[in-house]
Amino acid sequence: MDDGPFIKVDSVTKRYNMGHSTVNALNGMDLEIEEGEMVAIMGPSGSGKTTLLNMIGGLDSPDSGTIHIKGMEISSLNEGQRAQFRKNNVGFIFQFFNLIPSLTALENVLVPVMFDKDPPFERGVQLLERMGLKDRMGHIPGKLSGGERQRVAIARALINDPMLILADEPTGNIDSETAREIVSLFKELNDEGKTMLLATHDRIVAGRARSMIKVRDGHVVKGKAHSRSGMVHLSDEEKVKKKKRVVKG
Amino acid sequence: MDRPMFNPATYSMSHLVKERTRSLTMIVTISLTVAFLLLTSSLLFGVINEIGTSEKQGLLQGSIPGSIDMFETFQLDSELSERARNSLINYLMITSLIVFLVAFFIMYNTMAIAVKERRKEIGILRAVGFSTGEILKIFLVEGAMIGMISWIAALFLGTPFIVNLAAYLIERGDGGIFFVQPVIPPQLIAISLAVTLGLSLGSTYMAIIKPIRSSPVALMRTRI
Ligand SMILES: Nc1ncnc2c1ncn2[C@@H]1O[C@H](COP(=O)(O)OP(=O)(O)OP(=O)(O)O)[C@@H](O)[C@H]1O
Ligand SMILES: [Mg+2]
Repeated sequence: MDDGPFIKVDSVTKRYNMGHSTVNALNGMDLEIEEGEMVAIMGPSGSGKTTLLNMIGGLDSPDSGTIHIKGMEISSLNEGQRAQFRKNNVGFIFQFFNLIPSLTALENVLVPVMFDKDPPFERGVQLLERMGLKDRMGHIPGKLSGGERQRVAIARALINDPMLILADEPTGNIDSETAREIVSLFKELNDEGKTMLLATHDRIVAGRARSMIKVRDGHVVKGKAHSRSGMVHLSDEEKVKKKKRVVKG
Repeated sequence: MDRPMFNPATYSMSHLVKERTRSLTMIVTISLTVAFLLLTSSLLFGVINEIGTSEKQGLLQGSIPGSIDMFETFQLDSELSERARNSLINYLMITSLIVFLVAFFIMYNTMAIAVKERRKEIGILRAVGFSTGEILKIFLVEGAMIGMISWIAALFLGTPFIVNLAAYLIERGDGGIFFVQPVIPPQLIAISLAVTLGLSLGSTYMAIIKPIRSSPVALMRTRI
């Protein structure tokens, strides 16, 4: 059962009705990602990156097609089952952090385990310490910088030790220096075995991922031809381009 | 660092404190409503059972005791004609019903606005893996907290206020300065708790049940 790829997205379509017009957010999306990958998803605005992440994370369900995570078909789960799936397997990181403004940093990290009989309080503290927020635990998000908020959000995403981290424009609202730190953190998490998917416009972020796919108009335009590991790694051509840019900058 | 208390109850509490103006509005609305309903129901009780005769001095008869049993307070002259008695019963019942419905409407509206402002938060809770049932629980705990505070406020502040207001209005100042201490009978205490929770939990449930079931993606896309 676990022989297939870790994530398998098969001919997924998703339409949104906006009044009298419909948007094909995903249009025959095919994708395979192996466990332990760190993949950047790039593409123009409106190409379906967020929609794709939402589908893989079980936040939304496709109109047609299937999504398997570790051999389990999540596209056919009902909302209750999807909530359970999200809680146990997925950590979400968002562009606008999505913290709860009335709660402290530590409380925000503990939100996902609020109903647990014995909430892993120490784990929350350790995660925040690891994020370099040891003396910010009692602060509400309004008193934290963008980078600090995002690190609180990362700690929250890790509280249930998920196998999959989905980050949607994680550095879209923070300065490039902090963005670099966040990406290093992602790399560390990936080294620890977490599968990471990052939707991003930021080439620096994308360049530091282990592989990249490009989406346009709701389907993959590059990275679909899989390498042995199921993913296309940055082509030599792109690596050269990247180097040039670094030299120039 | 001490292990902080963090559970659905403290979660709700922190929100009630943050939105204290709104919390207070709801508490005042419910407690005054419940106090008024306590007054009308004790009157109704008195009228229906014809308790109290002229030798038991009640408010309506113009004497102000220092402490009163609400069942015995608002006595009516047993000489009251059948027709007057029935009209009074109808009047009290309809007034109570209207007051209850208006209070429910205000509560529902306040809750609906609160929920609208918290759509994004509901979306976040859904994203991190809570079921709709668990989120419903969070909001009902909040509603119950508002309800319990309102109930206590109704018994200790609202009812003395309403009863004294009624007494002053009836006396038209003839009694000078006085303070009536209402003694609420146990039956009414139980019924008032039920009415309070009906107002707070009922309006919470009605305001939350539809938004809570929308898709998490739609909830999180909310811009506020
Ligand atoms: N809930 C929704 N309701 C209506 N339309 C939607 C919804 N979600 C996405 N869309 C539309 O679907 C398309 C794909 O959106 P999506 O957010 O996935 O793109 P994206 O690649 O993440 O873009 P961006 O880089 O701007 O974040 C867009 O045209 C968007 O307007
Ligand atoms: Mg997006």
